Amino acid sequence: MSEQTTDYIKPELMACCGAREIRDGDLVIVGTGFPTVAANIAKHIHAPRARLMQESGVYDAQPKRPALSVGDPCLNPGAAMIGSLVDIMGMFLQAGKVDVGFLSGSQVDKYGNINTTVIGDYHQPKSRLPGSGGANPIGLLARRILIIALHDRRRLAERVDFITTPGYIDGPGSREKWGLPGDCGPEVIITNKGVMRFDAETKEAYLASYHPGNTVEEILENTPWDLKVADDVHETEPPTSEELRVIREVLDPMRMITIYLKRGYV
Amino acid sequence: MSKVMTMKEAIERYVHDGDFIFIGGYICRTPFSAIHEIIRQGKKDLTITRSNAADDFDMMIGAGVVKRFISTFLSLGVYGLGRCFRRSLEKGIPHKIEIEEYTNLSLPMMLLAGALGIPFIPVKDMVGSDLLNVRSFMGQNKYKLIDSPFDGSPVLLVPALNPDLAIIHVQQADEEGNAQVWGIEGDCKVGANASKKVIISCERLVSREVIGKDPSRTIVADFNVVAVVEEPFGAHPGYTPGFYDVDFAFGSMYQQASNSVEGFKEFLEEWVYGVEDRTAYIQHYIERFGYAQFKNLQADFDYSFPVSYAY
Repeated sequence: MSEQTTDYIKPELMACCGAREIRDGDLVIVGTGFPTVAANIAKHIHAPRARLMQESGVYDAQPKRPALSVGDPCLNPGAAMIGSLVDIMGMFLQAGKVDVGFLSGSQVDKYGNINTTVIGDYHQPKSRLPGSGGANPIGLLARRILIIALHDRRRLAERVDFITTPGYIDGPGSREKWGLPGDCGPEVIITNKGVMRFDAETKEAYLASYHPGNTVEEILENTPWDLKVADDVHETEPPTSEELRVIREVLDPMRMITIYLKRGYV
Repeated sequence: MSKVMTMKEAIERYVHDGDFIFIGGYICRTPFSAIHEIIRQGKKDLTITRSNAADDFDMMIGAGVVKRFISTFLSLGVYGLGRCFRRSLEKGIPHKIEIEEYTNLSLPMMLLAGALGIPFIPVKDMVGSDLLNVRSFMGQNKYKLIDSPFDGSPVLLVPALNPDLAIIHVQQADEEGNAQVWGIEGDCKVGANASKKVIISCERLVSREVIGKDPSRTIVADFNVVAVVEEPFGAHPGYTPGFYDVDFAFGSMYQQASNSVEGFKEFLEEWVYGVEDRTAYIQHYIERFGYAQFKNLQADFDYSFPVSYAY
């Protein structure tokens, strides 16, 4: 790893955490917004043969600025293939060819279930959210799921109000009951305070690392379930100068990533 | 036989109250001009569908033309949440729409089934989620869970959709309706081919000969098309690859306006009811924001190499 720096913002750190989960050669399907930046860092740093796709129909886009949606105009010129939803979601994802799904969730629970449908009662919603979009099939059909979420007692939950996108559902054995392979599912929840991973036995998220400036105590206070802490819990490795260079000079010279500061990624 | 007509004529003739309509687009090539015309003509009780809806469907819901929505998602993305959508479902303003929810895999597959003329199609998503626990107007026909007749494993089946009408915006079409696109397609091809009739809105009308120079780009063949409308800038504030960019400032302005019922009404007055067609809309845009801003949306040119189909 190249030299480290303290001169970075939280969204950059979170994007780097996401990037580090991607392995060379992975086929990655990315959801709207944040995940695209993260996945592209990986391509530039350690996973040059990773390939990204968007549900809208795009494979291996070469965006000149961060894509703000899965339908962003910057995804068109330079892509290796542009087709349709049936091509990407059906022919690639449903057919089992996608290694990594990268999602963000409005509400996420300890089993990595994601709610993007409704807060409160479904029929009398307190807050109506957008719905599944591509998230449900991505969560079910990509092999490893990376989740970005905000870390507070409202965004994290013991149990989400509505399972839009299943993680490990009710815990061990739940995915298998639906005919889903047991070795697939959420791998990590990256929040603005730390990184949680999933216990192989209990399928529950536990704290793996806390970000520089955050503490285990603060994270426990802001997590609404009895969060287990890894024996080797440690500080998250800050972005390297090379990672920051890629973000700032190559992927996002306009610094659009700063909009995530306003969305609570601090 | 030419099917070329104005958007006003096309919507008057082919959109009926109570119709089930597929409206294509994915920020990319959203048929906004058609949507504005539907609102202007005060159509009602429509059932609308497509994967990943945005400001377009939000506006139709807010304007009160929608009764039912076969949905996967509705958000204004980077601008924020869809306020009309939320007001409808949370507070019943202007009325509560009925919503049947699928995903960006199952819905396109249902349209594919419709396009293929088969009654239903197996999909691998939705299992284990609460999407299986909520049913609306499709009732028991939202999905069926069966044991595969081949190996006994659980299989989810979803029904084919065959909308009364599809409306899509494309880069170019000929006067009979052979329609060509490039760039992000979303579910336009399956949606249009699943529907009983198609309205084509296009950036430019071209000859049959031009279509024939690159026929692999055609996603809808002429026989099912009932109207062709040449509507430059017809997807604004969405974009059309090779023609113009997303208008982020305008998208953000809509989101701000739609935060309140009054703001939304003012927006409709100014940009929908206050202009008679897309030409007047463009004129108003230039008067309001200046020609430089309009010009700035126009795409750069970076042509691909020509292809040859000769033998």
